[in-house]
Amino acid sequence: MNQSKKVLACVDQSPYADYVADYSAWAARRFSLPLELLHIIDRHPEIATSDDRSGAIGFDAQENLLNRLTEEEGQRAREIRERGRVFLNTLKQRCERAGTDNVDTRQRYGQLLDTLDEQQQDVAIYVLGRRGRSAAHTQRDLGRHVESISRNIRRPILTVASEFTEPKSLLVAYDGKRMTRGCISLIAGNPALADLPVHVVMSGRETAEAEKQLHWARETLARGGFSVETAYLPGDPEQQITRALSDRDIDLLIMGAYSRSPLKTLFFGSKTNDLLRASRVPTVTVHL
Amino acid sequence: MTKIRQEWFSNIRSDLLAGLVVALALIPEAIAFSIIAGVDPRVGLYASFCIAVVIAFAGGRPGMISAATGAMALLMVTLVREHGLQYLFAATILTGILQIVAGWIRLGELMRFVSRSVVTGFVNALAILIFMAQLPELIDVPYAVYVMAATGLAIIYGLPYVTRMVPSPLVAIVLLTAISIYFGVDVRTVGDMGDLPSTLPIFLFPDIPLSLETFQIILPYAATLMVVGLLESLMTATIVDDLTDTPSNKSRECVGQGIANIASGFLGGMAGCAMIGQSVINVKSGGRGRLSTLSAGIFLLLLLLFFSDWVRQIPMAALVAVMIMVSIGTFNWDSIRNLRTHPPSSSVVMIATVIVTVATHDLAQGVLSGVLLSGFFFAHKVGRILVVKSQSGDEGRLRTYTVLGQVFFASADRFSQSFDYKEVIEKVQIDVSRAHFWDITAVSALDKVVLKFRREGADVEVIGLNEASATMVDRFALHDKADAEDLLLPH
Repeated sequence: MNQSKKVLACVDQSPYADYVADYSAWAARRFSLPLELLHIIDRHPEIATSDDRSGAIGFDAQENLLNRLTEEEGQRAREIRERGRVFLNTLKQRCERAGTDNVDTRQRYGQLLDTLDEQQQDVAIYVLGRRGRSAAHTQRDLGRHVESISRNIRRPILTVASEFTEPKSLLVAYDGKRMTRGCISLIAGNPALADLPVHVVMSGRETAEAEKQLHWARETLARGGFSVETAYLPGDPEQQITRALSDRDIDLLIMGAYSRSPLKTLFFGSKTNDLLRASRVPTVTVHL
Repeated sequence: MTKIRQEWFSNIRSDLLAGLVVALALIPEAIAFSIIAGVDPRVGLYASFCIAVVIAFAGGRPGMISAATGAMALLMVTLVREHGLQYLFAATILTGILQIVAGWIRLGELMRFVSRSVVTGFVNALAILIFMAQLPELIDVPYAVYVMAATGLAIIYGLPYVTRMVPSPLVAIVLLTAISIYFGVDVRTVGDMGDLPSTLPIFLFPDIPLSLETFQIILPYAATLMVVGLLESLMTATIVDDLTDTPSNKSRECVGQGIANIASGFLGGMAGCAMIGQSVINVKSGGRGRLSTLSAGIFLLLLLLFFSDWVRQIPMAALVAVMIMVSIGTFNWDSIRNLRTHPPSSSVVMIATVIVTVATHDLAQGVLSGVLLSGFFFAHKVGRILVVKSQSGDEGRLRTYTVLGQVFFASADRFSQSFDYKEVIEKVQIDVSRAHFWDITAVSALDKVVLKFRREGADVEVIGLNEASATMVDRFALHDKADAEDLLLPH
């Protein structure tokens, strides 16, 4: 979060777009970074639209067909582009009203994951809705893209699921392993967050190491000028952390993401997914 | 996984309907091409089914239609006539093997040497050949045949103005068949041309002696079939790429064509490849995914098994009408209009490709002559990019030549003629820093120039040989060796 890059807010035309815009505007203000609102247009050249079953080919059959298809697709693309532009402008105004000035909008063709991956060099933090348009009519509580994006992109990803409330405190779901230690270092190196109290919570089976790990986290954060509170809550991590979030009135959860390989996840499930499903607060996942 | 879903199931309804339209158009074509090759319609129909089904899975270009084709059929005529059907099956299998090898060694990349003009020539020659193959059905036949063929064409091109919901070639065939049965018109029908399939194709091993002699018989045919099959398939793939604005995997397509031909050979079919006309029909009818190709093959066989008694009674005149449509739709009419506006060299390449192909009935030879001609024209054009400037200095004792441009076999003569050897002079500088020496012809031309000046008693200095030229000169040149003069210029 400390590189001088940009906040990339990935929006599609779903109710989540407003939340994403609000949170990304907040992040851009917090870290004094430019904000880019990205609308990805999925093209489907593999789907035909024509209804011509005549099966006859006459003079200049190929040229005529090529011209017709180009014309039709161009027409469609223009409509989608215009709709997207209006949509992005509305969101841009919303961000500007919230006090974020440096807002850029952009539309790109392509697949979600590929497009986000291409941008990785210039992005400090991604913001996305926990579900998108494609999940609106299914009962899934976690969009199918979230996991593949988090696994492939080595940047913090803020996923939001509900309306904006200004985050007042952070909670780090901590397990003492490499990825969550990375989270702690990342936060400690960010003076922009220093006014927010940080809760570091460990859970799961009791180990001898726990106290030492928590001590390290406390020290690291204190050095960065943070006010820290640590806790060890034995039990099921999903339940304990969800409870900790509501008990302490936390508005932002930070955790390491998908430390298990896809294969292990298949057998043992993913703690990250469990937590993402369970928590109602916006969550930053870090997969380093 | 997403790729499989995208290539197979993202366009189900349109793919199935397009497959049906294509299958209906494939039947007359497969029958017509079998007749060209001189085999029973059964052979072409089994081949079309087999190739379409296999290529749906193995091909590299979703939405492209492959089946028995005219271009391939023309190449088999003498093999079938002189050695029989079993040798055709063997040649088909060998063609497939060669195509798989070609795919593995990425022979498809050679397609970049096939210029636009050659492709246009290929397509036009193909259309002409398809049309010419219909002539035997139109010469020396009862008057009724002409009426039927003309009616067929009128329906094919007229009906789409009324409705686009039914394939007009199908309507033409059904109507003409009904008329000829009802009035008992005495014209040739498909049934007169040989056996139609009555069962599913069965696996059979070609009944040929497995000897070197057999191999020597089928290899030349298989090699030509491989080249033509891949050429037409890769060209069609490019056309489908352009039409649908999606990429294709050309190497996979080569291997896929090979697998499809091997399968065809073992199931009693002839060799085939991608079809330009059918692929255009498929895309036009909304076919985009692999499902369209698969369904075309399956519908084709189902139609034959259930309606073979009716297919037998289709008058040949109806098929002729459909094939004329394919020929018209395949021909690149723009290329005629462009003859006046395009550079003459590209028109010559296009026309040469057409003429050689039509004369030999072999698209491979046509393409080869087109490629050679375009290479020749290119060398000629680039060879003109060569300028030699000269400037005298040091009170007429020194002359500096500056060479700009490309020096290679096509421009080497002009290069050595650009120097004035008659001038009496002490020192010659040849500045080649802004020239490119491409081959040994260029290098030996420079050698000759240097030696000639030396014989006039002048000191020669070559300056600024750039990196590319320097390596060529270092490897091949003689003039910096002591006895160079004797070696190069005989007394």
